[in-house]
Amino acid sequence: MNWVGLQMLRNDRAKFAAMIVAVSLAVFLMQNQAAILATMLSMTAAQIRDVQDADLWVTEPEVECFDQVKAMRDIHLLRVRGIAGISWAAPLLKIDAIGHSEGGRLNTVTVLGIDDASLAGLPHRMRVGRADAIRELNTAIIDPGGHELFFPGEPFQAGRSLRIRDRRIRIMGISDIAAPFTGLPMLHTSRSTAAALNLGEQHMTSFILARSAPGSRPEALCQKINALGGLRARTTEQFAADAMWFYGSQGVPMLFMITITIGLIVGAAITGQTFLMFIKENARPLSMLKVVGTTDRQLGTMILLQGTVVLVLGSCFGSGIAAAVCNLIRTQPFLRSLYLPWEIALGTCLALASVTGIALYASYRHVRGLEPAAVFTPAIVTCAA
Amino acid sequence: MTPLDSTAVHCTGIRKHFGEDDARVEVLRGVDYTVRRGELSFLVGPSGCGKTTLISVIAGLLETSSGEVSLFGNHLARMPHSDRVLFRRSHLGFVFQQYNLLQALTAAENAAIPLLAAGVRRREAVDRAAALLDRLGLGSRTAAYPRQLSGGQQQRVALARALVHEPRLIICDEPTAALDHATGEAVMELLASAAVHPDRAVLVVTHDSRVFHFADVIAHMDDGQITRVEPGRRTDTATHLGSSRLTNPSA
Ligand SMILES: Nc1ncnc2c1ncn2[C@@H]1O[C@H](COP(=O)(O)OP(=O)(O)OP(=O)(O)O)[C@@H](O)[C@H]1O
Ligand SMILES: [Mg+2]
Repeated sequence: MNWVGLQMLRNDRAKFAAMIVAVSLAVFLMQNQAAILATMLSMTAAQIRDVQDADLWVTEPEVECFDQVKAMRDIHLLRVRGIAGISWAAPLLKIDAIGHSEGGRLNTVTVLGIDDASLAGLPHRMRVGRADAIRELNTAIIDPGGHELFFPGEPFQAGRSLRIRDRRIRIMGISDIAAPFTGLPMLHTSRSTAAALNLGEQHMTSFILARSAPGSRPEALCQKINALGGLRARTTEQFAADAMWFYGSQGVPMLFMITITIGLIVGAAITGQTFLMFIKENARPLSMLKVVGTTDRQLGTMILLQGTVVLVLGSCFGSGIAAAVCNLIRTQPFLRSLYLPWEIALGTCLALASVTGIALYASYRHVRGLEPAAVFTPAIVTCAA
Repeated sequence: MTPLDSTAVHCTGIRKHFGEDDARVEVLRGVDYTVRRGELSFLVGPSGCGKTTLISVIAGLLETSSGEVSLFGNHLARMPHSDRVLFRRSHLGFVFQQYNLLQALTAAENAAIPLLAAGVRRREAVDRAAALLDRLGLGSRTAAYPRQLSGGQQQRVALARALVHEPRLIICDEPTAALDHATGEAVMELLASAAVHPDRAVLVVTHDSRVFHFADVIAHMDDGQITRVEPGRRTDTATHLGSSRLTNPSA
């Protein structure tokens, strides 16, 4: 009987196609918006997660994310280093400055000064060149988005330079870090180069990066550091989560959720309505099936299968389009971090399936209510409700 | 064989109304009606007298207001709904005025529906249906879709659908009403030869007096009651023309 149901579905090409298109578009829209939202949120934590050699971040107490910078006193570094169970601790300096390219391009850049001695926090993946080349004074490595902004259309290669605060900074390579939420070019330099660019300011340390010694739990170390007073220590994941929450609670996700919800409702409404119409228009054949002894259970299974075929095909097409569009967008250096997690892909499909499930159930109720005797009358079959 | 054993359909005092109060219509007003095995019984009467309602009640598709229906000694009204459906599936075959074929299926697939509903594997069900269509003279059109068939051919497919699972009672509502005289005659001839079998009853509702000569028994109905039952004029040659060929119980 299931096979009969599939033939009925296939035979009604217009509605079959309309339902698949509706599911595909809804899934695409939801996945696309959800992917952008997830990417944006993960971008707010990307600079934190990109630092993989440290597992603890220590900041001033009021700092919630990577973009909030408050100068830390040097004494704090010594206090952290003094905690038992800390393997090492290193300063990280973050400043904003204006950069000029030789071609006349101008943009605010984020400069990260990496501790000269330990190089803690250096990008671990490079597209061009070596990261440790920044040991040399007045050199830096730039992220792909920054390169595109200052040297648009030019191939990725080392050797160009930027002017920042009257210093010529040589670009030694191109890092492969995640795109920052701010969209600003990210320059990694040594802390001494960064400090020279920041001349006249007291600010030498923005964050303290630390590593727990083998055998010590990072969470326990955080508690010890917090107990010192005047400092806030978090594991990398805690700090990343705080950063995402900080941005996430500012309303932007709401806008995305509205679009996602609209996609869900419109997709489910069109699919469900079309499916119900398909079932209602087939009232006569379905009544005939009831007359010749098809059970309600068989009809229910048939409807479930028809709905599943529509949803699975639509979800596959929709997810395929979403993935293709995502890959296309990612070729842009600034949008390189866009990703479509499988949890989102699956979640959107399941959400649509469950809302459309209401229409499938309504269709089943309709079929159950069909008066089989009506099939004898040449007129239109009516529903005994 | 006692008289009761030969009874296929036995209705006593069937009453049925639709609607309530001002809208109440008494459609069946105490119908007593019997159809015997091996018979081709016609139920005739003016439009609106309740023929379709009566066969719907007999098939267990409509509840009665009062009265009893038994099919081969089974009281459908006393069965749970699901058992009634299964009884219909295995013991009843239907032919409708409007054919009611599925446009999505070929002739053979349409004819195979009762077997598919009963869980017979598709390949086997369609093969059996195709063999039956062949015997009904549609062997060359088994793969055709309903829209590619004439009305008479479609009704033959419907006939195959009514016969394919070897039911014990075949109920036909105006099987020739949508067909011209010659085609209707041919379909009735096929019905008389293929469907009638000593162990099976065939009940045909019709207006079409031109096919009355196929009947063994003609029951006249008027205003919700059986008013008269008379013998028909079906010749014995017609009875056994093809029935033995077409009703191989092991098929
Ligand atoms: N579901 C229903 N609700 C209300 N009235 C109905 C219903 N079904 C049938 N009737 C009424 O019952 C009466 C008998 O209808 P039925 O279809 O049984 O007649 P019939 O003898 O088959 O007529 P015809 O020869 O035109 O097919 C008609 O007056 C019809 O309007
Ligand atoms: Mg009728």
